[in-house]
Amino acid sequence: MDKISINLLPPEFRQEELKQKKFYKIQVMGVMIIFLMAFLTSMSIALRILQSHNISQVQLSVNAQEQKVSDLKGTQASLLLLKNRLGVIGQYLGTPSKQTFAYALIDQLVGTAISINALSIDRTGDVSIVGLIPDSVALETLIESLTTKEKNENKISQISIDSLSRGKDGVYRISLKIKPR
Amino acid sequence: MEFIESVLRLNQDNIMKKETIIKFYSLYKLYIFPGIVTLSCLFLVVFAIYPQMSKFITSQKVEGNLLTKSKFLVDKVQALESYSGEDLSRKVEFALASYPVEKDLGNVIGTLQQLIVKSGFNIVSFSVGNSATEQGSLSFGVKLEVKGSRALFPTLLSNLENSSRLMRVIAIETSSNNTSSVMDVSLSLAVLYSLPPKDFGSIDSPIPKLSQKDEELITRLAGNGTISNISSTTTTSVPRGKVNPFE
Repeated sequence: MDKISINLLPPEFRQEELKQKKFYKIQVMGVMIIFLMAFLTSMSIALRILQSHNISQVQLSVNAQEQKVSDLKGTQASLLLLKNRLGVIGQYLGTPSKQTFAYALIDQLVGTAISINALSIDRTGDVSIVGLIPDSVALETLIESLTTKEKNENKISQISIDSLSRGKDGVYRISLKIKPR
Repeated sequence: MEFIESVLRLNQDNIMKKETIIKFYSLYKLYIFPGIVTLSCLFLVVFAIYPQMSKFITSQKVEGNLLTKSKFLVDKVQALESYSGEDLSRKVEFALASYPVEKDLGNVIGTLQQLIVKSGFNIVSFSVGNSATEQGSLSFGVKLEVKGSRALFPTLLSNLENSSRLMRVIAIETSSNNTSSVMDVSLSLAVLYSLPPKDFGSIDSPIPKLSQKDEELITRLAGNGTISNISSTTTTSVPRGKVNPFE
């Protein structure tokens, strides 16, 4: 048989009880939130203190290293000076200048075909040659080697013959200008 | 009596006020307590958590930069300490002998004499020209008139441009007659030098490393220097000029 429960308490009392329960919940939550916030605050302060300590330690290490670098300033200066010099030395040492290159080219192309009386290579690398050629075959060989791309390896950009004359002895006198590429 | 009465009245007033406050709190505690909690939280966030955390984030960057700097400096110190001071000075000496910071006419004359004699040529005349700039480097001109075999001329040019003292051939003039293999040569040289760099680096600046190519170059300079030193001892002992100057 089911029991019959009858609430004889006045409804105000029930309402008051409910209100108390609700307040209790709010109170617990509030206290928890305040604790959480206090925990977060103390954590952030602790982190900052730890970080400051770390920073000061790293700063000390940096200062010590800076002092060491200052002590080694002489080595650093020597190294920079050395590197500065080697950069230019490496650029020039063993690299033929335009003039040397032009002389080597002429030496290679002209060979024995022409007997050079005078040769000049100016600052721009242009070559002027005055020479004697023993016969027409040598003259032909010379002109061929100077003008054929396969023979001059495309290293000559311009050739001009200023004068060419044949003497009674059959020897050709030639004056020419060569512009290497 | 009056005083006691007034004190008692005051006390009663206070008790009345307290009772009013308690009554007020009990009536509105559902709103007052959460309000106080919220205000406290706001106070903590605004005056403690936010400033601390923002400072923490800013300092994190500072700390990161400091750590990077510290690591860089440690590496730099290690790199600098790895160089032997004596060895470095020797290398600098070689480099400066090859490409000095000022005109070194005495050295140039000596080197040219050695190179020309070594190449089988004789010096006819020697003159020094003005300073100029050669592709960013300072230079002074030297005009040489030499005499020697046509066949050896390429060797002379090669020796000059591979000399331990940095120089460039800037103009060549040769003349010879048909019957002789000897030719007269007039050579214009640009002897290079350069002022020292103005900036030798700060504490924070990175240091350059000597590459394999640099080491090879130094070895080459050292080798050239040794050769020229040896040849200088041999050439100085060779008598020059006529045996009898009155002939």
